[in-house]
Formats: sequence, structure tokens, C-alpha cells
Amino acid sequence: MEARALDPITLEVVRNRLDAIAQEMQDALVRSGYSNIIKEGHDCSAALFDCNGEVAAQATALPAQLGCLPSAVRRVLQQFKPESMSDGDVFILNDPYDGGTHLPDIALIAPVFHEASVVAFTACIAHHQDIGGKTPGSLPTDSTEIFQEGLRIPLVKLYDKGTPNAVVHAFIERNVRIPNIVLGDLGAQLAALNVGKARLITLFEQHGTAQLIAYMSELLNRAEILTRRAIEQIRPGSYSFEDYLDSDGIDADRLVRIRVTVTVRSSDLHIDFNGSDAQVRGPINADKAAVMSAVYFVAKAIGDPTAPNNGGCYRPITVNLPEGSIVNPRPPAAVNGRTITMKRIADTILGALVPAMPQKIPAAPSGLVRVLVFGGNDPASGRTFVCTDFSTGGTGGHPQGDGVDSLETDIANTMNMPAESLELHYPLRVHRYVLIRDSGGAGTHRGGLGVEREIELLRGEATVTLREDRHRTKAWGLYGGEPPPFAHAEIRHLDGSKTVIPSKGVFRLLAGERIHCWATGGAGYGDALDRDPGVVVQDVVDDKVSMESAADRYGVVGIDRGRRIYDEAGTKARRQAMRARRSPISWTYDRGTRE
Amino acid sequence: MIEIGVDIGGTFTDIVLLRDGEQLHRTKVPSTKADPIAGVRQGVEKILAATQVSPADVSRFVHGSTVAINALLQQKGSVTGLLMTRGFEDTLEIGRQKRSRMYDLFLRPETPTFMAPRHRRFGISERVAADGTIVLPLAEGEVHETCECLVDELGATAISVCYLFSFRNPLHEMRTREIITGMYPNVQVSLSCEVDPTFREYERCVVTTLDAYLQGAVGDYLERLGHALHVLGFRANLQVMQSRGGITTADTVARRPVSLLLSGLAAGVVGSQFVGVRAGCNEVISLDMGGTSCDIALISAGKALVANESRVAGLPLRAQMIDVNTIGAGGGSIAWLDDAGGLRVGPQSAGADPGPACYSRGGHEPTVTDASLLLGYLNPANFADGELSLDVDSAKKAIARIGERLGLDPVRTAAGIHRIVNSKMADEVRRVSVQRGYDPRNFSLLVLGGAGPLHGGAVALELGMPRVLVPEAPGVLSAFGLLVANIEHDQSETFAARTDELDPGSLEDTLERLNARGKEKMRRDGVPVDKVEIHEYADMRYVGQSYELTVALSKEDRLQRAVAAFHTLHRTLYGHSDPGRIVEFVNLRTVHVHRLPPPPLRSGDVSVARGARASRSAYFESLNKYVDTPVHDRACLRPGTVVVGPAIVEQADTTLVVYPGQTARVLPEGSIMLEVEPHGG
Repeated sequence: MEARALDPITLEVVRNRLDAIAQEMQDALVRSGYSNIIKEGHDCSAALFDCNGEVAAQATALPAQLGCLPSAVRRVLQQFKPESMSDGDVFILNDPYDGGTHLPDIALIAPVFHEASVVAFTACIAHHQDIGGKTPGSLPTDSTEIFQEGLRIPLVKLYDKGTPNAVVHAFIERNVRIPNIVLGDLGAQLAALNVGKARLITLFEQHGTAQLIAYMSELLNRAEILTRRAIEQIRPGSYSFEDYLDSDGIDADRLVRIRVTVTVRSSDLHIDFNGSDAQVRGPINADKAAVMSAVYFVAKAIGDPTAPNNGGCYRPITVNLPEGSIVNPRPPAAVNGRTITMKRIADTILGALVPAMPQKIPAAPSGLVRVLVFGGNDPASGRTFVCTDFSTGGTGGHPQGDGVDSLETDIANTMNMPAESLELHYPLRVHRYVLIRDSGGAGTHRGGLGVEREIELLRGEATVTLREDRHRTKAWGLYGGEPPPFAHAEIRHLDGSKTVIPSKGVFRLLAGERIHCWATGGAGYGDALDRDPGVVVQDVVDDKVSMESAADRYGVVGIDRGRRIYDEAGTKARRQAMRARRSPISWTYDRGTRE
Repeated sequence: MIEIGVDIGGTFTDIVLLRDGEQLHRTKVPSTKADPIAGVRQGVEKILAATQVSPADVSRFVHGSTVAINALLQQKGSVTGLLMTRGFEDTLEIGRQKRSRMYDLFLRPETPTFMAPRHRRFGISERVAADGTIVLPLAEGEVHETCECLVDELGATAISVCYLFSFRNPLHEMRTREIITGMYPNVQVSLSCEVDPTFREYERCVVTTLDAYLQGAVGDYLERLGHALHVLGFRANLQVMQSRGGITTADTVARRPVSLLLSGLAAGVVGSQFVGVRAGCNEVISLDMGGTSCDIALISAGKALVANESRVAGLPLRAQMIDVNTIGAGGGSIAWLDDAGGLRVGPQSAGADPGPACYSRGGHEPTVTDASLLLGYLNPANFADGELSLDVDSAKKAIARIGERLGLDPVRTAAGIHRIVNSKMADEVRRVSVQRGYDPRNFSLLVLGGAGPLHGGAVALELGMPRVLVPEAPGVLSAFGLLVANIEHDQSETFAARTDELDPGSLEDTLERLNARGKEKMRRDGVPVDKVEIHEYADMRYVGQSYELTVALSKEDRLQRAVAAFHTLHRTLYGHSDPGRIVEFVNLRTVHVHRLPPPPLRSGDVSVARGARASRSAYFESLNKYVDTPVHDRACLRPGTVVVGPAIVEQADTTLVVYPGQTARVLPEGSIMLEVEPHGG
């Protein structure tokens, strides 16, 4: 293809335009969606692809889905030649073993035509509220095969030249618990594709096909260059680290290990997952697209923040995913719960990079995104309902400040559900949603606090799926910073008795029973005895840190909350004594397992 | 009849005086940051002296204020306490748990805890269910004890009350206020059931708490201003501009200070709306480009768009506001190169200090203004009303530095900087228009601010907009907007009902109740009932969705027409609609408007075009060279004059660039209309 010489000015103009189009697609998807998980949770992503299937631009959406759309578009191109496509075609897929990720995430992809040929693709992926399978919401923590997880949609056309494929629609409608909502959300995905197509066509008309394709390709090169420059700043070498998940949901007593060796050589970054556990029986196996999302998140986070947000950022990264392992399972392994594994993969890679990037990596965040799915039949309306509730813990302390209380990190960025939204639509009542005192790891820079949430079922009975983590392992503090306490959860029964429940499980809830979860905070950064005592006093005033912790962890004593003062001399003496009692801080990580 | 409008800006306080709706006088004085009222007093005295008007003869005094937005941005509001339903004390701090900077590893808090930090937030035992029934009665004793602690120990002067589902049943919030006012008559109370009676507790809590937080600053300011005016001898009631672009009395706004947040910005948009309509353009997009940012608003059918939810200072604010969108593109925006050698512009700005390199105040970074100077668009000897002289060499040096690395000469680099900043503004105009279902090609671009008229022609060209409108006095457009704005009141209520199960009586009852509230506000403002126009709207969505679209309600056939209008609007915005799905109401709104008669056209004398008084060399990308470009003095351009591009028109507060292929015509009322030839300039 012949193109005129590229002009750096037009390049920047095109970059802004592509970003704006991807964002507009994302907005259309969220604003016309039906399910709570889309419209409140924003669990969806839109992106533009060039004609070779590389990401040309993506909305600032959910990193967890970064790797999923490229995999889906690649799959489409593998089977369909662009010449065989028609305007108005829309492809659909969700099978994690065939271009998808976990089953609830349905990808829609549409070719964009200009001058009678395919010049680009618009694509979006959305987490659907239900895709069938053994539990409402399709996130069973006790599944052992993908067949229990819902409807597998192979790559097919959902629309053929603009005509809906009635067969596919009928299959979906018959296999999900809340067809109206699922089909409504598919409509919202279609809206996003249409908006993107219309805007892209205008852009192609403006610049001409060959020219715009050349600019898109140059933007990919730019992103690669910027990412390579950033990698060159990292101390070269090989760095290994491992972190753990509580359990796979089936074998409750066995920790699951993620191990990575990150090798930095010049501007290349290789991540080897050798040493990670073999695939497990439960559903926390991470399919390749999911693992790549976590890897891509890290690439973006350590890369140049100003780099164009496209596939070029990923070119310097290679991975080794041992077959049959937790990061590359063989079918029909269950995978629906892989989100928590993705979070731990991100933690592990960042953990490995700590010595390679001094002062650049924060202490570990809570390491959990707490997912609760309620499903059942509301006796008041007779209607079947399925809804998801998200909450999250605190972020890790870092060299420039404290962690943030209850904020999404790394691959996750979904919004929580307003209590009022849940209660307006479902037979639920939220009783508590507050920060937990002392739940952030102590440190010069404290970890952000975790959050407690208590929800009652008001009528009938419901199936509840809980999926979280860090009930049995802890987020790691850095350079003397301490880990946060464990997360935990329980069900309160009608007679007042309580059942402590594990981090992953499917439970039965009767009317009047409550599920109560404590998501933990982030880990601390640096020696807690170096924390500014005035800031400790402020934490005590705000009841984020207890008087006892102030004395025992931070060595700050004699705090008067009303007058906001502390005993300076006493604090100095106590800190001195505490320092004398323990060995000098020579360790990097603290998972709470040191003697 | 004599009317005065006063708008306080960052640099100047602008005052306009309109006599009998015909003669417009204007003046400006430097703003007095420490106490803005001093500047107002000075400016008012100056204009009264110049026009020989006695304060007692002034029948309207209208003000656009930045007091609310400044209190928010500088975090200088009241010491505020927050009462929430027990178990939800941290809603304000947790927010929606989503971060805005996705790939930052060092995260920072993003919720407005500064308004009510954790030790001033308390849970009260009470509970209302989703259907409005009371599950747990209000623990009045707790309210007592908590408020004692808040006021006596923690020094709170304002209290925000946000209980769950108060929009379904306001009883507990109302009773809480009774208790507080009974104990502390001087403590200001904001109730969420009044400020924002709609679901989603975090968003409702933010706007309600902000209302409480602003009570002190706004109340105190309006009272002192009222007093100052009284001392000067004014007898007219003080009126103020609200965020939604309508006027009300100071008393009314003091009760709902959050409605004052965008007062200043709204005045500018209303001014633009008026200038547009007067020039025959009912479809206008206004672009106000200053030193650091650019504000864009859309006016359709002669009326500025009003949003029900906006982001201000990073906060989600559910209050009716003029739909103004701000991006970091201004004259001071810095051009820079990324590590891959890509040219970027903004969002960092050199601001006014040190400012662009050409200000010679220590700034070395190349900015958009430096590019404008190098391209010959700005007059180095006469900038900002002659207050600054600009140094072309410094501009050139700064631009050459990045140009070398790009492999471009300084001039092409400067032209590139312009193209990038223009395309950014064009992207934003597209976002506010296309995304809301409007085609920018059907709009005129109205340009304001120091830099707007310089870039307008190029932005319009990129967007395919046919016309650019330049007001006669862009500098005082906000003050002028105050005098031409309508008196307006809006009220809304949650009205949850499916259109297929609706009792038509309840729709009418709710509208009637809203209208009664509107009439009461108009009565307080002294407007006779027969002079009030009533507009009724409904926020609607498909059953199952959660974002609503607002449609106007007609007088007859309300229900059917509203449903039809919703389907159409959904299709326009999202490319699909689904007539088979049930539509439901979410909120009802009414807006009461008292239209003030617009000032009559000033009869301009049509005169022949005079020659340009000067010329200078300016570069135009479409010509790919510098050409000798005529420079006109705006003051000498009479109505009817036609200026053919390339040309430059200078005036005290701005510079208009007429690009090659474009033609500027001075309209009878003083504005300039630029006709943009597609594929020209």
C-alpha cells in the first residue's frame, strides 16, 4: 500500500481521534446497558482494531479485559478472511478454549468497511449477568468442568449482513436465567459497535484508507518504542517471586501457587510462569487471554503512561505459560473464577519487579475483588433474579503516600453497587458498608483500609456465590511495612448463630439470613516506627487506627483525641525500645510469615 | 428602567449597565481576590459616576459569582458534619471504589472526604425500605447526642443529612432537621431528600454534603454583598445567576448554595445564547478559550443544554447545570515531545506565571501562544490591551528546540502545534454534540476568550461548521448574559412508574405538586403568575436500564407522545431503539420561566469598508507560506463591512484570525460573522 510520508502532526491528531472513538463506544455501552453489572459495575470494555487484528485504541475501561479482545479478534481472523466478510456482519464468541475468556464475558466483533473492503474492526466485551450453568450468575466456585459453567458460544455470526441470526439468539435465550437482560445487554454491545463504526468510517473518509492505515500502524510503533524505553530503565536481570491463592474452591486446604521469573534484557521483558502449580480441579484456572490481561496491565503500569493506548505496548513482552498449569489449563478445566487468579498474577509480577525497580513498586494491595452473586426467585414478584455485588479492599502503601481505602487496583476497576440500587431491584437489604479500623498494614506509609459489607436476604431463598481471597495468605508489605490482617466472611442464621465460610463457595441463604464479609486492607510500605506521629494521631482521630495499634504498631503513646496531641517524649522512648527489641529491617517482603 | 450586571472573573470584574433596554455601558476594574466585594463596589461606583445614574434608580442588580466554585476548589467551606443511616458512615469516603488513573501504581484518594472527614461523619439508627416504609424508627436521642458532639465539640456550622431511601420517604430527614434547628438555630442543614431526591446514595451524598459545605461561604458572601449595595444606596433586590442558566433572588440561592456552583460559567453561556439568537443563529456551540482551558457548551433552539449530572472538580454532581465541558487546551498549553518523538500539546499549562516563553517572565516551554506569535497572528507590541509586549525571538527559540527533534523548522512546528490544539478542541466539540445526537455541521461556532477568535476559524473548518460568530465584546459577554437571562426555577421529584401500568392521575398530581413549588418560588421573586411559562419534562428509560434520557412532556396526549419521543431519542443517541420494550418514568421535572424582554437591537449605521490600518506577515498552512496580511482595528469596522481572509482583526481583549478562503462580515448589531468555506484556509 502506497502512502504519502507520515506527518507527525496528523499522527497526533489521529491518535486523539481514535481514543475519543473508543471512549464513545464505551459510554454508549454503559449508558444503554440493562444489567447492574454493566450499568453500575461497568464490567465491559470497547476497543478498535486495525485490519491485522492489533489493538488500535481502547477505552479507559477494565484492564481485566485488555487481553481478551485481542484474543477474540485473532480468533475471528483465523477463521474468516476479510474478503469473505460483509458490512453488517457481527461475530460473537465466549469460549475460553476458543478465543474467549470466561463464559460470562461475551465478545462482539464487527468489521468496518470503507471503499468496499475491511479497514478495521470494532469490538467490545461485556460481562453478562448470567450465561446459564449450575449457579445463578454463572460464577460457580465449585465447578470442576467448563460444562458446568454455562453456555459455550463458538465463533459464529450473531448478525449476517445486518440480519439477526435467529438461531443463535434462540439458543442464548433458552440457556440463560434472565434472557431479557442478557439480550438487552447484547443490544447495548451492538450500540457500541455501531457508534464506533460510524465514527471510524468518517475518519477513513477524511484521511483516505491507505493513509489512515499507515498512521494507525505508526501509532503502534510509537507505543512499542515508548514501552521499550521504559523497560530499558529497569535494572536488567532475572527476578523470581511467588504468591498464593487461598484455595481453588474445591480442595479447601491447599494453597495454590503462582510463580514467575521476570527477565529484563535490554528492552525486552520475558515472563516465565514455570514453577506455578499444575491446573486445579476448581474454577480458578486462568485461560491464556486472562493471563495476558494481567501481563498487559503490568506492561502499561510500568511503561510510559503517555504511550498511545494500543497493542504496540505489548510487543516487547513475551511469556511462557506451561501447558496444563494454572495459567494455561487443558480443557475441560473450569475457569470462571480466574479473575482472582489474574489479580494474584499481577501481584506476583509486580512483586518480582520490586528489586528491579526500587522505589517504583507499591506494597501489595488487598489482593481481592470480592464478588457476591445472588440468584433466586422473588416470591413477591414471582420473577427470577440474578445480581452481582462487588466490593474491594485497600491499596498498598507506596514511597509517596498511604494506600487508599477501598479502591480497585490492577486488573480490576469495577464500581460497587449502590445499596439503593440493589434494594430497589432485588429482595436484599444492605445493613453495613463501612471501613474496617486497623485493616491496613502498618508502615511509614500505611496500607489503605478494607471494607465490611453485610447483606440480608428479605424474601424466599437464594443461592449465593462468594468469591474472594486472602483468608489464608496475606498481602506483602515492603521494606518493613506490615501485611494487613486476613479477610474473612460468615453467614448469620435466623437463630443468631454464625457459620464462618471460606473465601470461595456456593451457599444457600434463607429469608432473614445475612452474609457478612470483611475485605482486608492493603499492606504497608516502610518501617511503621518511622511514620510521622502526627499522622498516626490523625488516623486515631478518624478511628482508622485504634489507640492500641498506635501504641503497639507505631509506638505512638499518650494520644488525646480531643486535643489531637500525643506524648512526644514517651513516644520517642517507646519507639527506641521497640527498635532495640527487634532485629534491624533487612528483609524486603513481609507476608506475615516471618518469625 | 436601569439594570446592572456584575460578573467577577479571575482577572477583571466586569460591569454592564443597561438603560431602558437600549443603551449599554460597560466598564471593568481589576478583581480583588482577597475580598471580591471591594472590586464590585469600585466597579459599580465607577459605572454610576460615568453614567450619572443614582443607585436608587436601578431597578435590577444581577450578579454572577464564583464564590461557590472557589470555596470548593480551595477547600474552604464550612466545618461540616454528615449524618448517614447507621452502617453507611463511610459512603462519602468509599465512593464507587473506581479509580480514574487506571495504570498509576501510586494511587491517591479520589473522594471528597475533605468536606466531612471520618471523625465528623456519624451513623444514626433509622431505616427506610426501598418502598418507603419505615423499618426502623429514627433514634431521636442519637440525633441529639451526635449533634451536640458535632457542634459543641467539633465546631460544625453546617450539617448534611443523607439517609437511605429518603427520596421515597423524607420523614426521618425532616425530623432530623427539626431536631437540629431546635437545638442550634444557626447551624445550616442540607437534606438529601430536598437537594437531590434520586437513588444512588454516594452521588446523592456528595451533592448534599457539598450544599452544606458551601452554606457558610455563600450565605456570608451574599449577605455582605447585599449589605454593601444597600450602603451604596441600592434599593433593588440582589439577583444571582444559577448553574442552570436562570436568575433567581439571593435569598432563594442562599437556601440551595450548590445551585450557584457554575454561576459565572452559566452567565457566559447565556450571553452567548443571546448573541447567537440576535445574529439569527439558534444553533450555536460556544467555545471559550482562555489561558489554561477551553469551555465548550451547546445551545440548541436558542437554549443552552442543561445537564442533570456533571463532573465538577472531579466530583460527580447531580444538580442541574449548564452543560459546559472543559478541556485543558488554552493559550498557555505547553507543547512537548514524548520519548518516541511524538508532538503533544497540553494538558500542562504555563499559566499566566511564568506564562509562555514570549512573555519573557522566565517561561521557556513552547506554548500555543508562542506558536500564534511566531505564525504572525498576534501583535507583539499590543497584547492583552497593551499590558504585555511579546518577544518573538523567545517564542521562536522555544519552538525551534522541539522542532529540531521533530525534523521540522520552527514555523512548521508552530503550525503543527496549532493543528493539534485545534483538533483537540474539535474532538471535544464532537463529543458534546455528536454524542448528544447533534450534528455540529448544523451549528455556528461562537468564539470567546482571549484565544477563541484566533482558533475558531480553524476549528470550524475541521468540523465542517459553516459559520463562526464573534461577539462585539467577548470580554463582557458574561456580565451582559446576566441581564438577558430569564428568571428560572426548576424542581424535580422521583416518579417511578412503568408506562404500561401508570395511573394517569398520579402523573398529573405529581406535576401539579412540582408546579405549585415553582409558583411559590416565582411569587417570592415577585413575578406575577400570568407571566410564567411552565415546561414539563420526564426522565425515562427502558425497564431494566439505569441511565435515563430526558424528554419534554406535551400538554396533550402526554403519555403516548413521551413514549414515542423516548424511542426516537434512544435511537438518535445509541443507534437502536426497541419499541417492543416497556418504557418507565424515573423523575419528573418542571421548569418555570419568566422571560425578560430582550434589549432591542441597536441600530448600527451601515458604512463602507475602510482599508486596513496596517499589515504584517502571517503564515497560513493552506498557503504553505507567510503572506502579507492586512490587520484591521475592530473599533473601526462598521456594520456591513466585509473582510476577506487572510486577515487579522485586533481588539483590546482578543485577536480574530480570518483564514484564507474565509470571509468576515460585521453584522448590524456589532458581532462579526465568519463564513467558513469547506476545504479552504
